[in-house]
Amino acid sequence: MLSRIAESLFWIGRYVERAEDTARFLQTHLRMLIEDTTAAEVDACRNLLALMSVDEVEDPTLTELLRVLGYDPSEPTSIYFAYAAARDNARRAREVIPLDLWECVNSTWHQLPTTPFGASGAHVFLNWVRERSAMFAGISRSIMVRDDGWEFMSMGRSLEQVDMTSRLVASASLTHGSSQWPAVLRGCGGHDAFLRTYRGLYTDREAAEFLIVDTKFPRSIMHGLIAATDSLEKVAQNNVLTARHAQTAIRSLGQLRARLEYADLDDLLDNLNHEMSAVQDVTAEATIAVATSYFAAADPTAWITEGTR
Amino acid sequence: MADVLSNYRTGDAFDEMMDAEGSVRPSYKAVYSALSRSTSDDLRMIAESLANNYTQAGVTFDVGGVERPFPLDLVPRVIASPEWEIIEAGVAQRVRALEAFLADLYTEARVISDGVIPSQLVTSSTHFHRAVWGITPANGVRIHVAGVDLIRNPDGDVRVLEDNVRVPSGVSYVMTNRNAMITAMPEAFANQRIRPVTGYPTRLLTALRMAAPAGVDDPTVVVLTPGVYNPAYFEHTLLARTMGLELVEGRDLECRRGRVFMRTTAGLQRVDVIYRRVDDDFLDPVHFRSDSMLGVPGLVNAVRTGGVALANAIGNGVADDKLIYTYVPDLIKYYLREDPILPNVDTWRLEEDEAREEVLDRLDELVVKPVDGSGGKGIVIGPRASKSELDALRRRVSEDPRGWIAQPVVQLSTVPTLIEDCLQPRHVDLRPFAVNNGEDVWVLPGGLTRVALPEGELVVNSSKGGGSKDTWVLSPPPHRSPSGRNSTEHKEEDVDHAESQTAVPLTVAQIPVGMKPRINSQRQQQDQQQQGPQRGWTC
Repeated sequence: MLSRIAESLFWIGRYVERAEDTARFLQTHLRMLIEDTTAAEVDACRNLLALMSVDEVEDPTLTELLRVLGYDPSEPTSIYFAYAAARDNARRAREVIPLDLWECVNSTWHQLPTTPFGASGAHVFLNWVRERSAMFAGISRSIMVRDDGWEFMSMGRSLEQVDMTSRLVASASLTHGSSQWPAVLRGCGGHDAFLRTYRGLYTDREAAEFLIVDTKFPRSIMHGLIAATDSLEKVAQNNVLTARHAQTAIRSLGQLRARLEYADLDDLLDNLNHEMSAVQDVTAEATIAVATSYFAAADPTAWITEGTR
Repeated sequence: MADVLSNYRTGDAFDEMMDAEGSVRPSYKAVYSALSRSTSDDLRMIAESLANNYTQAGVTFDVGGVERPFPLDLVPRVIASPEWEIIEAGVAQRVRALEAFLADLYTEARVISDGVIPSQLVTSSTHFHRAVWGITPANGVRIHVAGVDLIRNPDGDVRVLEDNVRVPSGVSYVMTNRNAMITAMPEAFANQRIRPVTGYPTRLLTALRMAAPAGVDDPTVVVLTPGVYNPAYFEHTLLARTMGLELVEGRDLECRRGRVFMRTTAGLQRVDVIYRRVDDDFLDPVHFRSDSMLGVPGLVNAVRTGGVALANAIGNGVADDKLIYTYVPDLIKYYLREDPILPNVDTWRLEEDEAREEVLDRLDELVVKPVDGSGGKGIVIGPRASKSELDALRRRVSEDPRGWIAQPVVQLSTVPTLIEDCLQPRHVDLRPFAVNNGEDVWVLPGGLTRVALPEGELVVNSSKGGGSKDTWVLSPPPHRSPSGRNSTEHKEEDVDHAESQTAVPLTVAQIPVGMKPRINSQRQQQDQQQQGPQRGWTC
């Protein structure tokens, strides 16, 4: 598979997942922001933006939050941007992705709103984003050939999901007076499953365990790490010559898995922000390792006209 | 009745649907009756559905960096079978002649020593490349794909306007137009047999594989695109997708020791044939423009050493130079010893002093074109030009007479076209596509009909805001053998399976046997029983 196409597929996976997870993140916190009267809106919004690594907005309001993470095409963290980037990558990989999948991404992009909306319009939009991502996932799962292209796309999705779940988990430690964990679980669509798993008896500790190390819940960090490792290993088997650097990625994902699996949960919770930031570091490292082994372009060639030296 | 057509008035031009007396030509009977049964609301709905279809599917054409859906008009351009046979033969003849011309020119150049074409004409063509002199492709083909632009003059004669043997584009719209039309107005297809256009990718792929360097049995073929910002990028993806090939950019390729490789996730992989959609000038920074980022350094050397085959070949542009065009009838006679089937449009060569004087006198009634332009660039239509434009043109022509040709203003034929709420005549041309695999030249039935949407406009290029129409070549009436079965049915050598299948009457297939009954969950069976009438315990 062409390196350039592999790169596009990897990023299609990441951007679609990012759009969905950003929508989940916003939905989780919008409601709390509106209901909670104890915290100042500006502080709460600033915290949320910090979790998404946005720090250049001064005194953010709810409107600003929706703009930066929602509809502003010029903000690299917005859902709009993520879908535009996914569509741009899909357009470059058009000849290898199924027609239905291209049309799904393309029509989503065509329907993206660019006009500002408030909290009431936000839910319609965020639900729609999640639906479109679900459609993307469904179409790709049902018709894409399971070749390297599929693995690169899944790898992108999994790494992005790990990264974004870590941010959602970190957001649970923001205090608004009451526990955030149920809301975060709902944001991941895992609240009911969690209650069933723990038979309704739980504390924050179990909630964190479920979102971080549960291997059966598909949006947990652990599940994403395992899925990304699987994809990496399959690609490495198919591309023996170039797989050398990819071992770095497999190794760092494995080290993170071991660390999370055997960590003392109470320690994890005490240092939640720090631990989650470490998760984000590992996904970034893995992305770089994948890029250097599989996506690397040629070194730029410099042309010198004879006699000019 | 016929309110959408009630105001249809043909002008001075030849109208493809109606003759001068206002009666409908036989080939358009079915389309006319379908149209006359429609209201303007019906047509608007079809037009909207066509436009939506193209927006969702991303069938676009970039104009100045903005992606636009390619406008497709709902009234097809219909070509009757006997007429198509002439066009088909004429296009193939031209491609064979130009092929022979290029083969000769880049080797012995007998055409010059025999005095058919002045040598100065060839060497002054901007698309004549000495870099490829002496290179003979493995199967001798230089024009793998050609697009020949045809027009019909007010007398009803089909004439050749120009040849395109470098990187002709537009064939993807032939295929997508047909798909969109079948979805949007299926009933129009029901009562006549229209020759399918789906065979193109297979034909092209076969021709590309046959062009492979000697000794390569199972060649790796790729499509080379300048990238996502090229106006025809959509076409490049469609061709790569329908041929099952990789679509590569210059930066995906690398030349090493006279061979070409592409960068894949598994390392470098050898490439044998490149269907390139990048212009000569940008193809290899070593030989051509050194600032090109779209090409592959070393590509020309790889071609020269036979490490890779390019389709179309480098240097083809000399054959579609508009001044060489005026010699094509001579070339047909010289190489093929045949008379041209399709005549040229009358053309003045501005290099010749007499011709130039006449043209400069009559500049306001002629069309003047640059010899190496494409996409409608630089064309000046005399009757429409302002005085200052004409003065500027006169100056440029006098400075560089080799750079220009002049033609009379030809009123292109018209086809009904939906403009707002009613059908009006609009000018069209036709670009049939030919594929040369080295053994024979195949012409895709139909081709791209381009239509100029503004009233009276004669320039149809898509880069000038033109639209397109689906082009229907009607099948010849079937020759039935005494048993009533179609005689073409057993022609096994027919590559286009679909084409021969359309001529076969539908027969009822055998009913498949041995299928097992489908199983439902026991729960549902129990539920059904519970809801059934035997629920005695409820009493």
